[in-house]
Amino acid sequence: MPLAPEFNVDEVIITAMARQLHGEVLVSSVTAFGSLAAHLAKRRYAPDLAVLSTPESGMDVTPMPTLTLGQFLTDVQQGIPLTMEDIFDAIFTDRFRIWINPSQIDQYGNTNITCIGDWHRPKVALVGSRGIPEDTSHLSETFYYILNHSLRSVVARVDFRSGAGNGDSRQLLGRHGAPTVLVTDLGVFTFDGPGGQMAIQSLHPGVALDEVRARTGFELYVPPGPIRETEPPSDEDIRIIRDADPLEVRKLELMSGPLAAEKFVAIYERERQTFHATYPRVGKLGR
Amino acid sequence: MDKRMSIDDVIDRIPDSATIAIGGSSISRKPMALVRALARSDKRDLTVIVDVGGPDVDLLLGTGRVKRIIYAFVGFEVLGLAPHFRRARQEATAEFQEWTEYTVMAGLDATIKRVPFMPTHATLGTDVLAVNPAFKEIRDPFGQEPLVAVPALAPDVALIHVNYADVQGNGVILGDGHVDVLCAKAAKATYMSCERILSSEELQRFGRDVQILRVYSKGVVEVPWGAHPTGCAPDYRTDLRHLQEYLKAAQSEDGWRRYETEFVQVDHRQYLENHGGPEELVSRLKV
Repeated sequence: MPLAPEFNVDEVIITAMARQLHGEVLVSSVTAFGSLAAHLAKRRYAPDLAVLSTPESGMDVTPMPTLTLGQFLTDVQQGIPLTMEDIFDAIFTDRFRIWINPSQIDQYGNTNITCIGDWHRPKVALVGSRGIPEDTSHLSETFYYILNHSLRSVVARVDFRSGAGNGDSRQLLGRHGAPTVLVTDLGVFTFDGPGGQMAIQSLHPGVALDEVRARTGFELYVPPGPIRETEPPSDEDIRIIRDADPLEVRKLELMSGPLAAEKFVAIYERERQTFHATYPRVGKLGR
Repeated sequence: MDKRMSIDDVIDRIPDSATIAIGGSSISRKPMALVRALARSDKRDLTVIVDVGGPDVDLLLGTGRVKRIIYAFVGFEVLGLAPHFRRARQEATAEFQEWTEYTVMAGLDATIKRVPFMPTHATLGTDVLAVNPAFKEIRDPFGQEPLVAVPALAPDVALIHVNYADVQGNGVILGDGHVDVLCAKAAKATYMSCERILSSEELQRFGRDVQILRVYSKGVVEVPWGAHPTGCAPDYRTDLRHLQEYLKAAQSEDGWRRYETEFVQVDHRQYLENHGGPEELVSRLKV
């Protein structure tokens, strides 16, 4: 991917994600990319964000992406504990934001994490809709990211709608829960095209429109006028991301195969040490 | 009342065809010692309710105990998909009902509140509504807004694992609470394993962390490492190395038979010994 050498694609994506967040809302940390985007946004762009250290708890702690230590982070930093009821109440009252990483997203912003093929006899059974139906029926902004923009992930029509997009899916729903933005390794996309279709907002530095078209499963709407370039991360953005993720857990989401397995084991073996070096032992057991 | 009992006592109290709600969340604080005992029992045709399932659901499917699963998600998080769940879904060897995170909570809450259903907007505009025959689209009786009626979920039994409990059945949860309180309140009988039994006097010092109230519990079992291989913050983290072994074993019939022999068809003491004993687990998993 022909990006300028001083920053990496993960940093472009995380910075683009961070710049979407604003206001005084809870931001859940389910993935390394999501938690780093929330952390960067809070430090640079949206100081009132209430960042969580796990999918459901630890408000107002500094997140550190790890494989197993999310709840321990809450504990040592004495983050404010929340309940699942708190989380869903925040979703229903629109005080919650989350970056969702779907397996498929389509031209209307419907998303799928449930299955490939027919639900009743799937070719691949994935995980199940989790809380995406709640997000896509209540939040005034819904955010998606995909790290490998391809014909398999950015498709004309998802195999199963775990999350409601625009178009037909809005018939029984108001605007709440409609898709807001998709960030991929190629660019930033909105859903402001005709009938709520996906539209290009900007392409990352070095990405050509032809490449995006070749890796998108439908005719992508290109707004009139010149195509903007995604503003690259600043030196300060990059420093904050790298400092917050000393184990480089974010890189795992971009890797696969034996290389990923090796990195995975290395992080798992090392993360307690890094964690203790960063946070002295307090919390419920060590206090 | 002293409600202490053994793991086998708990299993003896669960009838065939029972509906069992399991607490925890994917790879966090699952009552795995109880689940393993259930997996090696001769119980048949169980219905399992989970909000966010992981190795619990997967193991029960892998050992053929389950007829029906009600779930919002089943997966191994950073490690990927749940192998037996995936196979059973694809080959339709069990009955699956896809719910969502809030609707499972709402279904349990309906039982607690003694109402037949709870209304929500969640799942409108998604295919969950199309494939889940339990949900019904309704109109607001006061206005005309479309809503979804989520039926009550009434478990016969809840199985949960907590950090500490007293002999009367009060339970302390120190990390994220997940949906354990809802499971405990909704079930006709709640059985709780714990890392350690404390005196009631010691337990009361935990204040609001005493989340499971004795009026809801029927039995308490002291089972150190009772959530292993899932994590039990802040006592120990998730054993990702063991879960990797599990995933590898599940790839072949031979591998799975060996796994069952070593880690399922053994009592809890032997299970820990087969991991190299508690000292070995401490060095790998204490934080």
